[in-house]
Parts: sequence; C-alpha cells; structure tokens
Amino acid sequence: MVFLRSEEHLVRWLDANGWEPGVSMTAATLNELARRWWWTRLEPDWRPRSAAESQAILDELGLTGGFWQLV
Amino acid sequence: MDELDLRIRNESYSSFVRTGTAPAAAETAAALGLAEEEVAAARRRLHDAHALVLQPDGAGIRMLNPFSAVETPHRVEAGGRSWFANCAWDALGIPAALHDDGRIESACPDCGEPLELEVRDGELVRGADLLVHFVVPARSWWDDIGFT
Repeated sequence: MVFLRSEEHLVRWLDANGWEPGVSMTAATLNELARRWWWTRLEPDWRPRSAAESQAILDELGLTGGFWQLV
Repeated sequence: MDELDLRIRNESYSSFVRTGTAPAAAETAAALGLAEEEVAAARRRLHDAHALVLQPDGAGIRMLNPFSAVETPHRVEAGGRSWFANCAWDALGIPAALHDDGRIESACPDCGEPLELEVRDGELVRGADLLVHFVVPARSWWDDIGFT
C-alpha cells in the first residue's frame, strides 16, 4: 500500500490501475496501527502472533467488518 | 516455529538492521555455527510461516517485514541509518520496531510528488493527513504480499 496526497489523487490512481476501491485511512491512523503491529518485531523473545491476536489489534482501532477479517 | 528457526530468524533481523543488507544463508550459518543447508531449510519454513519473505527463486531474502531487502519507493531514516520499507504500513512500522523516531521519504503514486512523513515520540508529526489506501482485503494479504 502507498501514501497518497489526497482523495482526488487516490481516485485517479485507482482509476488509472483499474482497481476497485478498498478502504482508506489517514497516515495518522496507519501510524497507530503500525505501532501496535510492529512494536515487538525486533525483540529477542519475539514469537509469531496468532490470527486472533492480530485480529484484536485491528479491532482496537475500529478496523472491523468483512474487509478486515484475517481468516 | 521451533527454537532453531527463531534463532535463525532473529539473527537474520539483527544482521539486517545492523548492516542494511539481507544476510546470505552462509553468513547466518557462520554466525550461529550451523550448516548452510540447515539455515536454508529454516528460511523456507519461516517463509511458509510468513515470518520472512524469500525472493521468488527461494535463494535470497526479499522482506524481513517491515524492512525490505530490495529498493522500494519508501525510504526510512532512523537513528542515523536508513532502510527501505515494503509499503506505507511497513514504512511506519520501522520506527515502531526500532522504538525510535524516524523520517520517511515516499512519493504519491498518482502525481509523483515527493512525500515526507516524520514520526517523533511515536506520533506522526508530519504527513499525518496523507491518505493510505488498502486495496486488498485482510484475508488476502498473503496471497501476493508484494502487491499488498
């Protein structure tokens, strides 16, 4: 996924590539998600998260519904 | 994922963060006192478990998420060093994983305009209003992680 300047740029980019719209968020929201998702990635006792644990991170940010279902 | 795979995974990440280059299987093997074949086999298991992503030929490492072992449009600086990220999410993930401030250089794929973002003390203090778009639904993220 990519950063885009605005909704206008997003619509043009989707059109140019022939892609159906998915879900947008601000970079600020994505930063919150990134902090929760990646925070432990370099810790020596890192272990893979279960799908349920990952789903809980999405849920915490209100990223719910079919689009955000991991399994 | 057993302890050997985790050791190989952790050594790969540690080496990449330190050097900015994905280690060859032989380098990881030497660092851990293992046979190169053991490391190569573990890498394939880690790839299947989505703990790293190998190149299409299976030989080298392409992604140690959120880091990219290949050049991308998303460059991240933190702590005086820089890496490439796989995508917008991963670009913000690098300062998060490093527990450090970071500066991201990217570009709008529509117009090519350079974009800069800055994370300070965990907050996005520059570029917060930029948009991010998820084209692929979550259950399909790993169908083609390079596209996602």
